[in-house]
Amino acid sequence: MQVLDITYMLELVPILLQYLPLTLEMATLGMVLALVLAGLLAVVRVLKIPVINHFTILFISFFRGTPLLVQLFLFYYGLPQIFSSLTAIDGITATVMGLTMHFSAYMAESIRAAIVGVDRSQTEAALSIGMTNAQLMRRIVLPQATRIAVPTLMNYFIDMIKATSLAFTLGVTELMGATQKEAAGSFLYFEAFIVAAVMYWIVVELLSWLQRFLEIRLNRAYSR
Amino acid sequence: MKALLLSVIAVLTLAISPLSLAQASAQSSGGSEPLNVGMSGRYFPFTFVEKDQLKGFEVDVMNAIAEELGREVNYHTAAFSGLFGMLESGRVDTVANQITITEDRQKKYVFTQPYVYDGAQVVTKKGNDEVSNVEDLKGKTVAVNLGSNFEALLRDLPYADQIDIRTYESNLEQDTALGRVDAFVMDRISASQIIKEKPLPLELAGPTFSTIRNAYPFPDTEEGRALRDDVDAAIDALREKGTLKKISESWFGTDITRP
Repeated sequence: MQVLDITYMLELVPILLQYLPLTLEMATLGMVLALVLAGLLAVVRVLKIPVINHFTILFISFFRGTPLLVQLFLFYYGLPQIFSSLTAIDGITATVMGLTMHFSAYMAESIRAAIVGVDRSQTEAALSIGMTNAQLMRRIVLPQATRIAVPTLMNYFIDMIKATSLAFTLGVTELMGATQKEAAGSFLYFEAFIVAAVMYWIVVELLSWLQRFLEIRLNRAYSR
Repeated sequence: MKALLLSVIAVLTLAISPLSLAQASAQSSGGSEPLNVGMSGRYFPFTFVEKDQLKGFEVDVMNAIAEELGREVNYHTAAFSGLFGMLESGRVDTVANQITITEDRQKKYVFTQPYVYDGAQVVTKKGNDEVSNVEDLKGKTVAVNLGSNFEALLRDLPYADQIDIRTYESNLEQDTALGRVDAFVMDRISASQIIKEKPLPLELAGPTFSTIRNAYPFPDTEEGRALRDDVDAAIDALREKGTLKKISESWFGTDITRP
């Protein structure tokens, strides 16, 4: 039985920690952009805006129906063969773009469900007291939809953080890429991957904590 | 709500600024035309990382070539399966990852002269006496790196249909040591080096079964061919000066740069 090389693991912590910000940056940027895109897609779907609605359905179908890795390879290695100017896109940008489109397809459906999930009677009540559609959305529907959507959206964010580990195939050395290279140099697989696992785990645990805080905050009006 | 919005904006600015900085610096270094080289960083002892430092035979040789050409080198590390994509999409000029000259690859790329001569080697878990040469692989499971020429070598064997070939993105040495596959096939040099220096219980099984010549691939374009000729001339010069031999001996104790 081989004993864990603790010294090596401790040495690895500060090295791998340097790559954590890039992982978080790609995920955070991807999340913010995906939220915006998903919001737009959801609104198109809820209001069934003609023509655009069909494109939206196609978009969601494609990005939900194909693996993220396939999409990343398609953008990064495939498209530049046809449009050579796309070579200017670097790996980080391509990863963020891929994450944005892939996850916005999922998130659009969950935001749509949250909007539809707000009881119709509230819409009718708001309209009856003379609120405009914009007021109705801003004051009545969206605050409640947000509350419904937060847990699932947080899940997607957590998923997105872990999905950044695919970026090494596009030449971006993030946390997982750095770990793989260190493991390939030392052949101490267990040590290297457990350090990476604990790092991802701690980040996700912090986010779960943030999620609980958000949920309590958003539920305040309902729990008394 | 306002506080939440502010924190989102703060996170966003933090996220964007390093990205845009990285892009800006990438653009500003365009004047000196550095050589862009792709490698996996996961192929000990040719290209690997130790404490965040990219090292290996490939790095030393490419640095010497760049010095000969009077150019800087930018190393781009990516998973092996991404390397040819990077070459194909023009993101790197060449790949320095022990790329073997094969017929299929020659249809797409132009190669320099070989700078490493090696052989394909069967490696097993220590104490596995069932496999002692390449014929013994009949009825066995064998690991090879995805997209490597070793996969093609195995598939060209007359009894290939009796071998269960498993392709790996990485860590095939570990799976062999764990006993999940009966053997793996790699080049003799790195296999010997891994066995000598690393803690995995592995052993070489028999002699090498195919000669392989490794070189730098370039895209088959006017620009690619011109760069290939420059690099080829640099390899000639390094051979003459004895630099190649010196680098090889520092890593392997023998000269692997000659047939």
